[in-house]
Amino acid sequence: MDKKLTITNNIRKLRFFASEMTQLELAEKVGASRQTILNIEAGKYTPSLELAFRLADAFGVPIGEVFEHRTEDSEDA
Amino acid sequence: MSPKSKNAVASMVVGLAILVGYAVYAAREGGAESLRWWASTALAFLGIAVVALILVQIVFRIVLAASFAAREDDPRRVKRMLSSAMAEDEMDRMLGLRAARVGYACAGVGLVGMLATLAFGGSAVLALHVLLGSFALGSLVAGAVSVHGYERGVRNG
Repeated sequence: MDKKLTITNNIRKLRFFASEMTQLELAEKVGASRQTILNIEAGKYTPSLELAFRLADAFGVPIGEVFEHRTEDSEDA
Repeated sequence: MSPKSKNAVASMVVGLAILVGYAVYAAREGGAESLRWWASTALAFLGIAVVALILVQIVFRIVLAASFAAREDDPRRVKRMLSSAMAEDEMDRMLGLRAARVGYACAGVGLVGMLATLAFGGSAVLALHVLLGSFALGSLVAGAVSVHGYERGVRNG
């Protein structure tokens, strides 16, 4: 049976705890556009592993604290 | 709508306007079976399209800067917002690849259509327009794919 992988992130929360870091500031820190940060935060874009590590470094936390995943059984499998 | 989506829509609108302009001009002045006339006309419109697209990019950035300046007082922050809004990153590259794939598919179908036109006895002028039409359509569809990706999101893998 296929497993469906769902990736979520805690970027909004991490920005809040990083003195309300703006999306623009985070984008500049990781070398991405604000639009991309906005899309990642909204779950509309899954970043590459490299950008994911850059995001984790920007907050000074392990990557597992920025992104989380869960697997579910796919219904159409 | 994000600035990059607006930029893509602006480019699509200009592309469509040039295409309509070409169609109107060709309908009025054309009709000749001279391939040379059609090819030189298409080349001239291609040149117009390139210049128009460059102008649109310049105007778009000016308008975007003005809209940021209206919201923000600090000029340094406006500059940062502008460079972040237009910076190309991995999401843009991924969307660009997807859009190009759709564009190439349209161009491929156009090439087959052009060959089929000639094979079934169509004129060379018609075959040329099948090819040009497929390129124009491919460009518009590629733009639409980009806008869709920016607005609805895109996933790796």
